[in-house]
Amino acid sequence: MKHILRSLAVAGATLVAAVGSSLSAAELNLFAWSEYVPQAVLDKFTEETGIKVNYETYDSNEEMLSKLVGGAEYDLVQPSEYVIEVMVKRGMLAPIDFAAVPNFKNLDKAYLNLPHDPEQKFSIPYMVGSVGIVVNTEKVKEPVKGYADLFSGKHAGRIVTLDDNRELLTWAFYFTGQDLNTINKDTMAKARPVLAKWLPQIKIFDSASPKTALLNGEVDLGIVWSGEAAILFQEDKKFQYVLPTEGAHLFIDSLAMPKDAPHKKEAHAFLNFILRPDISVLISADFPYTNPNVEARKLLTPEQLENPASYPAAEDAKRLHTFRDIGRAAAEIDKMITDLRGGS
Amino acid sequence: MAGTIVATDTPAAGGRKPPGRAGWLLLAPLLAWLACFVVAPTAILFAYSFCQRDELGFVVWEFSWENYARIADPVYLKIFGRSLWYAGLTTVLCLLIGYPVAYYIARAPASRRPTLLMLLMIPFWISFLLRTYAWISLLKADGLVSATLEMLHLIPEPLEILYKPAAVLIGLVYTYLPFMILPIYTSAEKIENSLIEASMNLGAGPWRTLAHVILPLTKPGIFAGVLLVFVPSIGMFAVNDLMGGGKVDMIGNVIQNQFGQARDWPFGAALGITFLALFVISFWFLHDRGEVKRT
Repeated sequence: MKHILRSLAVAGATLVAAVGSSLSAAELNLFAWSEYVPQAVLDKFTEETGIKVNYETYDSNEEMLSKLVGGAEYDLVQPSEYVIEVMVKRGMLAPIDFAAVPNFKNLDKAYLNLPHDPEQKFSIPYMVGSVGIVVNTEKVKEPVKGYADLFSGKHAGRIVTLDDNRELLTWAFYFTGQDLNTINKDTMAKARPVLAKWLPQIKIFDSASPKTALLNGEVDLGIVWSGEAAILFQEDKKFQYVLPTEGAHLFIDSLAMPKDAPHKKEAHAFLNFILRPDISVLISADFPYTNPNVEARKLLTPEQLENPASYPAAEDAKRLHTFRDIGRAAAEIDKMITDLRGGS
Repeated sequence: MAGTIVATDTPAAGGRKPPGRAGWLLLAPLLAWLACFVVAPTAILFAYSFCQRDELGFVVWEFSWENYARIADPVYLKIFGRSLWYAGLTTVLCLLIGYPVAYYIARAPASRRPTLLMLLMIPFWISFLLRTYAWISLLKADGLVSATLEMLHLIPEPLEILYKPAAVLIGLVYTYLPFMILPIYTSAEKIENSLIEASMNLGAGPWRTLAHVILPLTKPGIFAGVLLVFVPSIGMFAVNDLMGGGKVDMIGNVIQNQFGQARDWPFGAALGITFLALFVISFWFLHDRGEVKRT
């Protein structure tokens, strides 16, 4: 019995020591999109600062929100623009101390002070991208300039699109000339017949990796994230990216700090670190979205900069718009698209 | 659920005596597990289903019947109907394919049975997602199946089956087939050879023996298999997403959407509870009828 007690006491003491040491060691709990932060960047950060990074991933903004509401303690999260708006309205974010993030000056002003964070107090753009059309120009000879060409009926059964109800609705809104953030009964009623015609023409709905179906020839056209399109273009120049003439969604994936982040100091260090041009280019190399870091862009190769999916012409970029939070309408959108897809 | 089905169909030795103190003690871990991971989550889901969703998609604790009223919408009823149809078709196909296999394994020489059962189980050691992706590469337009059939001049052009309802059905049948085979095997194994011999000796041909001896004796297995296939396949969403190209939405996809994109947890919870209620009702119904017939 004595033996058991003694070994229990030893075990307890070891446990206390272990917990104590892990408390004192600098840590950072990063909660970010899967496949969006290169491991090399995290390793380098730990190497330079001694701060250990616990990197957890999610596959949708909604998943991240529910975990945070559930009480998980993260120091940095990676919401898209309309989700930042929700989190700010809800008071879920802590303001960023920009004095601790001098590299913030490297960012392109075009992506700052947008409606979701008008005073730029709570978020720092990480990567920026659009949702546009990819055309396999070897298979499709006629020009495809926008949603009207894509869904003309000629390409029925050869299209992959994102599996995201709000994105689907947005394309129909652009087509019918409506503002993408004014979602109500009337605007949705106008979009409905358009989508009813479009949805049966889509062969595959896939948000996770729409490029796969294009690469293996299952389909010849698609509406995909610009980063996916940029990778396709790197693989083969026959995959051309087109920003639809009617307009397209611009997303600003940012880093933000939850209100109750336990390691705010480390979070600021990380923000400043990834805004360093030599670090930011590492992200661009793996995930060829539009890098909002102007200084980092100077270090990119001409090949990277000439990728039209990553860096569209200024002319085309004018047709891009960000999402706002749309509140209850999300449920209405879900119902409408579910109904229309049910027809297939 | 699986446990209850099997337990109720293999009559317990010594009848239905309530367990003694030692029995309860032995049951305790199971009961605790059920309470934590079945009863508690279901209770939470039940509570959520009467809540509301605020402007930003968060759950508000205000009582409302609205979520249940919304389920009655034709949009969702249609999908409930489709889920029943696909699950039913899957069950029938699994039964047609699985019954002969199960019977064959059960009647095989005892020395070969472990090997045959092992062959059935081996695919389970591989991740479900990997197996589904394997099906995608088999079935795609330039995949192995299409290419082989074309080479043999059995089809004039590439087989367009992936991302169609047929592909979803193949995926569902493939996934749930073992759940049909195993319970039928268990009851077929117990059939005494003498019963079959007796039937034959008394002049019944193979078909009558099957219909009047073998099938009735394997009924508990069929019943368990049907439930084990029907219940999970009705709620499946991964196979439909991957092999159906996201076009063959079933109720599982709709529920998943409520907890994801639509951020409407209360409605998702209401769908889940309705779904559960349907199962419990249909289980009781089937079970009661089974009981009545057997006694």
